[in-house]
Amino acid sequence: MNIKFTKVEGNSASYWAYMALTGLVAALAPLTALYMFINGHHVTGMTNQVPWGMPIVMAVFLIGASAGSLVLSAMSSVFGKTEYKPFARIAALLAILLIMAALMAIILDWGRPDRILVPFFHFQPRSMFSLNAILYNSYMLVGFLYLIAQFKDNTRWMKILGLAAVFIAVGVHSGTGAIFGFVYVRELYGSPLLPPSFIAAALSSGTGLMIIALYLMFRATGRRLDNRLISSLGRLMGVFMMVVFYFLFIENVTRSYAPKNYEAASFLLFHGGKYTLMFWLGLGLSGLVIPTMIVFHPRYGRATGWVLVASALQVVGVFFERYIIVIPAQVMPLEFFPDKEITSVFGDGQFANYSVSLVEALYSLGLMGVVAFGFGLCVKLWPMLPTEAVHIPPEAELAEAREVHEFWG
Amino acid sequence: MSVDRRDFLKIGAVMAAGTVVSSGAPLLTAAMAEGENSGASARNQWGMVIDINKCSPDCTACYDACRKENNVPHFPEPELDIHWIRKITFKQKGVPGAEERAMPAMCYHCQHAPCEHVCPVAATFTRADGIVLVDKHRCIGCRYCMIACPYKARSFVSRHVEHDPAENPDAPIRMHGVVEKCDLCVHRIDKGEKPACVEACAKAGGGGMLFGDLNDPDSEVSKIVRTGKATRIRADLGTNPRVFYVGI
Repeated sequence: MNIKFTKVEGNSASYWAYMALTGLVAALAPLTALYMFINGHHVTGMTNQVPWGMPIVMAVFLIGASAGSLVLSAMSSVFGKTEYKPFARIAALLAILLIMAALMAIILDWGRPDRILVPFFHFQPRSMFSLNAILYNSYMLVGFLYLIAQFKDNTRWMKILGLAAVFIAVGVHSGTGAIFGFVYVRELYGSPLLPPSFIAAALSSGTGLMIIALYLMFRATGRRLDNRLISSLGRLMGVFMMVVFYFLFIENVTRSYAPKNYEAASFLLFHGGKYTLMFWLGLGLSGLVIPTMIVFHPRYGRATGWVLVASALQVVGVFFERYIIVIPAQVMPLEFFPDKEITSVFGDGQFANYSVSLVEALYSLGLMGVVAFGFGLCVKLWPMLPTEAVHIPPEAELAEAREVHEFWG
Repeated sequence: MSVDRRDFLKIGAVMAAGTVVSSGAPLLTAAMAEGENSGASARNQWGMVIDINKCSPDCTACYDACRKENNVPHFPEPELDIHWIRKITFKQKGVPGAEERAMPAMCYHCQHAPCEHVCPVAATFTRADGIVLVDKHRCIGCRYCMIACPYKARSFVSRHVEHDPAENPDAPIRMHGVVEKCDLCVHRIDKGEKPACVEACAKAGGGGMLFGDLNDPDSEVSKIVRTGKATRIRADLGTNPRVFYVGI
């Protein structure tokens, strides 16, 4: 398939309005980080009981979406899915921007972000954080090189770097899952299923974000987008969602089986208040069940509007998944003596409280602004967008697929 | 187009350089990370035995002495407060009317310290004599160690702390944005003294805290540990704490 990629003109009032708005939102991230640094972390909802809050949830979410995007980008060059070539460049770009925002989320949340150079000179090979720092940097490099290969239209290097991108995306997300999976002292963290289930959620949220980004970009620039491409991506997302569901099911059933985990399992699944609601309604029903039903529905699955709804629900669902992975494990008291009830002035034996503070909410919003602003800037600087994106069906169906749908007329 | 590509290649080259530095430099400096033992000798393995039969729920001698010795401030919000040592009360689960007992809890200076394993910059390290310390000048405040510690021994300093002229000048200076914890009063140990909590317990408490060298077969702590009466908290995790309890 011969596709011509062009830059966005970027001279219109709406373009500048977009850049101004996203630029302002993006500025929230460094500003709130500075506020946290100057005042100390007591201005956030994070405490000595719940040391990791919303910034870490955001980091994990953004890393996941990034890994998913990069794998999608490699679909056309590595797996021969040529119908996905139109968005190969945007997906790679989005992957790079998302991982940058994720790194920003982590580093600016440090108690000492001024020590950014320290990890470059001190290394702890047993620490998943240390290993991930190398993985994230290599991942960004591979993403960049892969984009360059695409700009040069070098098929051989696109294949090689695309394959490297898939491997490293899986590595990056396994590493991120392992940050939690290797913490053996908290029942809701330690699980060998976390790395693979992170990858599944990464792929589904990455696809969901791609669908939304594609639609918005094509719509904003008045380009032609075949709705069969959207519904095909929607079904792909559906398959990823079923894998997420499978991992969640196995993980929770396994956890619920051992008496030592009864309390942890029942906290998350039954009496965890807002966390239980997030699990069943946020992730389960609206994040997985409803979008899966939409994308596989014979009629709704072909309607761009419905697939967009499914994508948005699913992205929010995965966000809830990240939240209930990061937070409830810290809210639950640590088992000091598994067979005794304990209390202390330091909250031992008590469930902790955590709610997102305004600072953390603005910080998270700012991180999304960084991605949106970077995206707007890059599509103006480099030829990222295809002039049209038309779904090319298999040869047998080619004859009857003459008319191309234009859903915005 | 060609200019764009060149620009893009330049950015790629910068990224490549960054990656090489980020992955290469730590390997080069890993070897230099040795020698942080400040004269501590592997001949000693400092440890503690706490007999909780001598520990009363009302007594706060060890807690007060620790705060004073190490200039530990009080933050108004209990969930943000810094604790190097704390009193825990406990009773048997599922047994009505079970007796309530108390014990001090602190950093246990584990042989296989989870905090040390997860610290991305090796700011937490174990001295040759078994004392687990935090390098406050290297800690980046990521708080991964707090997530991994099974004993909740660590506190994050979430506010700037003003220095009080009346505070103990021997204790390390407090730094905001980093994680800290009990260091067994290493400044006292290096002078041949006992940790402040142990001394206070002997003077004003029940005298249940004993400190000594686990490597020395004649030390009081070794003798008790050898009898098999001393147990460790969450021994099932395999962290091998160097603080033992009698009477749990």
